[in-house]
Amino acid sequence: MALVVLAGTKKGLFLLRSDELRQGWTLDGPHLVGWSVYHAILDPRDGVLHACTNHEVYGATVHRSHDLGKTWEHAENLGLPDDSELTLERTWHVEPGHADQPGSLWLGAAPGVLFRSNDGGATWQTIEGLLAHPTRERWFPGAGGMCCHSIQLDPTNPNHFHVGISAAGVFRTDDGGEQWTPVNSGTAAEFLPDPYPEVGQCVHKLLRCAESPRLWQQNHCGVYRSDDGGDSWQRLDRNGLPSGFGFALALHPRDPDTAFVVPIEGAENRVTSGGRLGVYRTSDAGASWDLSMEGLPERAWTGVLREGMAFDSLDPFGLYLGAQSGSVFASADEGQTWTEIASQLPPVLSVEVGAWS
Amino acid sequence: MVVVVLPPILAAEAGGQSQVEVKATTVEEALGALPIVDRLFDEHGSLRSLVNIYVDGVDVRERGGLSGKLSGTETIRLVGAIAGG
Repeated sequence: MALVVLAGTKKGLFLLRSDELRQGWTLDGPHLVGWSVYHAILDPRDGVLHACTNHEVYGATVHRSHDLGKTWEHAENLGLPDDSELTLERTWHVEPGHADQPGSLWLGAAPGVLFRSNDGGATWQTIEGLLAHPTRERWFPGAGGMCCHSIQLDPTNPNHFHVGISAAGVFRTDDGGEQWTPVNSGTAAEFLPDPYPEVGQCVHKLLRCAESPRLWQQNHCGVYRSDDGGDSWQRLDRNGLPSGFGFALALHPRDPDTAFVVPIEGAENRVTSGGRLGVYRTSDAGASWDLSMEGLPERAWTGVLREGMAFDSLDPFGLYLGAQSGSVFASADEGQTWTEIASQLPPVLSVEVGAWS
Repeated sequence: MVVVVLPPILAAEAGGQSQVEVKATTVEEALGALPIVDRLFDEHGSLRSLVNIYVDGVDVRERGGLSGKLSGTETIRLVGAIAGG
C-alpha cells in the first residue's frame, strides 16, 4: 500500500509519499502553483485528487487530477445563482460522496454554502436548502469568512449528514440536503449577547466517528462531543486543556472515545498555546486530556488551522499535522511520537492522507 | 487576430498556452472566447476586481472599458493587480 499526505499550502499543493511503515517520505511539488490550497483529498473510490483552490485575483474554484497531480483541470463555472445575491468567496472543503454513489462529491464554501457534484467534480450544483436557510440572516462572518468547512457523512445512510459553518453552527439533514436543522444546543457563542443561541456558534471543525454516530467539534468556544446526532453537546475542554480555542481536530479511526486537538492561545492571539506545539489526546471521551509532544518543537509560536490535522486508518494508525510555519509532522504510533517529514514549505493550510494499493 | 497574453497562473489553466489568438470586435468578446474566462469574471458576469486589462499597453478603463472596440490586430495583456502576500 502507498500512502500520500496532501499538504495544501498558501502557495500550492505538496504531496508526501510513503508506504504503510511511514518511516521515509518523499516530497513532490508544488502542484497548482500560485493557488492557495485550502483542502485537498485523494478520493478513495477512484484515486482522483480534488483540491479547494483560491486566489486573491482569480477567485475560488476546485481543481481535480486524474493522474496523481501530473495534470489538473478546474470546475466549470462554479458559482452561486444570480437570485441569491451572493458571490462565491472561497472554497474550503471537498468531501467524497457516499461509497455507493460514484462520482458524487460535496463542496463546502464561503459564504456558508454547500455544493454537490454528480459528475466527479466537473460541475457543481448549489444546495438550495442551506443557501436559503431561514436562519441565514443571523449568521455573521468571522475572521475566516463564513465558511462551510466540515461535511460529515453517515456511512450507513447517504441522506443523513452534518455540516459545520463558521459563525453559523452545525446543521443536520435527514433528507439528502433539502431540509436543514440547526443542532447547536449546549454549544457556546460567548461573543454574542445571547451565549446559547439557536445559530451563530462558531464551529471550527466537526468530525463524525467512522464506526459510531458520535460527533466531535472544536469550536471557537470549547471542545464538544455529541452522542445524539447533535441534539445536545457536552463541553470537554475544561477537563484539562490549556485553552478551549483551537481549530484542528482528529479522531481515532476505530475508537470513538479517542480524539486529538491542538489548543491555540485564544481568539486574539492565534498561536500555539503556551508557545508549544502540542497535541492533546483524550482516550476517555473527553473526560481527561494528555499532552503529546515528543518529536514536536519545544518552543513554537505557530498556528495549526482547521484542516491542519489528519489521520489514516492503519493499525497502529498514523496522525499528520501541518503548521503555518511550513512544517508537516507525522506520527506512525497513534500520536505518541512525531517526526518532521517536511519543512520550509509555504504556510500549511491543510493536511489530508490518502492511500492506494 | 487579437492576441491575448495570459499570466503564468492562467496559462497553466489554459493547458500551458501563454497566449491565445481570438477573433473579436470588443474586449469583452475577446475575453469571453478564452478558456479561462471564469477566472476573469465571477458567476454574475462581473470582472474580478483585481484583474487589470491592457490593450496595446493602454488600460481598458482609458479606452472604453470592456465594450471598447478592437480592430482585430491588438494585443491584450491580463495582469493581476498587486494584492495579497
